[in-house]
Amino acid sequence: MTIKEYLKDRTLFLLTNFILFIITCGIMLITNMTGNIILLIFCIWFFPVLTYIMLEFFKQKIFYNELISIMDSLDQKYLLSEIMKEPENIAGKLLYDILQQTNKDMHEHVKSYRDRENEYREYIETWVHEIKTPIASTRLIIENNPNAITRNIQDEMTKIEAYIEQVLYYSRSNHVSKDYLIKEVSLADLVRRVIKRNSRDFISKGITVDMEAVKGIAYSDAKWLEFIVNQLIGNVIKYTRERDGKVTIHTIRNENNIVLTIEDNGIGIIDKDINRVFEKGFTGENGRKFGGSTGIGLYLCKKLAEQLGLGLTLTSKVGEGTKVRIIFPLGSVNLMN
Amino acid sequence: MSKIIIIEDTEKIREELKIFLIRYGYEVVALTNFENILHDTLKEEPNLILLDINLPVTDGYYICREIRKKSAVPIIVVTSRDNEMDELMSMNLGADDFITKPYNTQILLARIENILRRVHGITNQDTIAYNNLKLNLLNGSVTYNDQKAELTKNEIKILSCLIKNKGKIVSRDDLMDFMWNADVFVDDNNLSVNVTRLRKKLEGLGMKDNVETRRGLGYILP
Repeated sequence: MTIKEYLKDRTLFLLTNFILFIITCGIMLITNMTGNIILLIFCIWFFPVLTYIMLEFFKQKIFYNELISIMDSLDQKYLLSEIMKEPENIAGKLLYDILQQTNKDMHEHVKSYRDRENEYREYIETWVHEIKTPIASTRLIIENNPNAITRNIQDEMTKIEAYIEQVLYYSRSNHVSKDYLIKEVSLADLVRRVIKRNSRDFISKGITVDMEAVKGIAYSDAKWLEFIVNQLIGNVIKYTRERDGKVTIHTIRNENNIVLTIEDNGIGIIDKDINRVFEKGFTGENGRKFGGSTGIGLYLCKKLAEQLGLGLTLTSKVGEGTKVRIIFPLGSVNLMN
Repeated sequence: MSKIIIIEDTEKIREELKIFLIRYGYEVVALTNFENILHDTLKEEPNLILLDINLPVTDGYYICREIRKKSAVPIIVVTSRDNEMDELMSMNLGADDFITKPYNTQILLARIENILRRVHGITNQDTIAYNNLKLNLLNGSVTYNDQKAELTKNEIKILSCLIKNKGKIVSRDDLMDFMWNADVFVDDNNLSVNVTRLRKKLEGLGMKDNVETRRGLGYILP
């Protein structure tokens, strides 16, 4: 707040005073008063007025400056009305009350949305668990009646399961802290489990797997990690070239991290897409060519990896293949081994 | 013969699981009345219990705890909940293993085998036979009319898969899938080489009705 702005705000008041003074001045001139008396009256009139305006200006400037500095230091600006001192003057008090009211109303509003979101998330989780029962019985029925048709159904069931799993992890992705459990995870076991889950696709597409060089222990949540690796392997299968497909998985132990690399010799990703692959809903050139891309898989992987404190990077060359790296930081626990 | 009790409230799963396990040579009892479940279960004196968590009357955790008070019979918890916390809780209540639905049936079988071997020292599938041929899965040896030969890991897997499906054609894809599920990630060429080697070893034992190739379909033990 500058003095100019403040005076501009008081224009009407000052203008009225001046006009009244000019009128008074005119009357005094008609009644033949001397210039000295007019000057004296001017001083008596305007000295208190200007003093008052100046004092008021400084008072308000101090008040608002304090308010602004509090606000700047606040992380969540809407908490201002909780932090600020209740002002003494009537305009300030009114403003304070209004702020508090709008704040309360906003909180209620936000809460209703939060409740709705939680409700929805809980519903999704329950739904996922419920749908697993018919899937389990379908799998058993298929197993008990093996033939070419049920084998095809089996393959489709596997895809359904993968999509269902994605839904579950998507709904959980904002609430990782609620249900994760950090423990020792053998990377070789984890990778082997994922490969076994996808064995049908690997075999029917003739993709060979080399995972001899996977070793080491990571400390993380096994379920979440398996989901991430499964999504990445799913991409390898989807974007592999016909025949001669090959995926190599290996780990490298550096001074303060373990890097798990999943490398394929698939179609690769063009340069202009590569920086956007982790964006939500981004499908890019390959998505258009292959279809069936939702642009959710890698986005979720990145999000979950961030929540788990893992690094996730991707490099690729068109026609040569793609490398995805998961970086596990080594803490003091790991370093002791 | 090992006796398995299935405690599961979904009828379809209960029935299909029963058929499946009977096919693999187990004696199976599937309980349908959940009122007196503890009493009924213990009365059967099973070798192993497959226990669902979400059940009518009392939940699986409770049943697990109560069974543990009276018996050391191995329990595998089977549930659609896949939280680490659920797993931890099951283990704390005395369950021996934890499998999430929908499960891979071969993995379920393997877990059952493991636990039975560990707890009772028995199993249905330590040795499997085909006519006069006996395959010992524990030491990887195969005997035919007193003649003995050692097999490699891959050869054991191929032979055991073919014996389990005797009389039926096993497609190359199915055979590979079986091997992949047993941690052997063979590729197409490797498989052919392994089958040829296996055939030579069986021939060396003097076995006449050897592994046959059905062009375009797969392999078969007639």
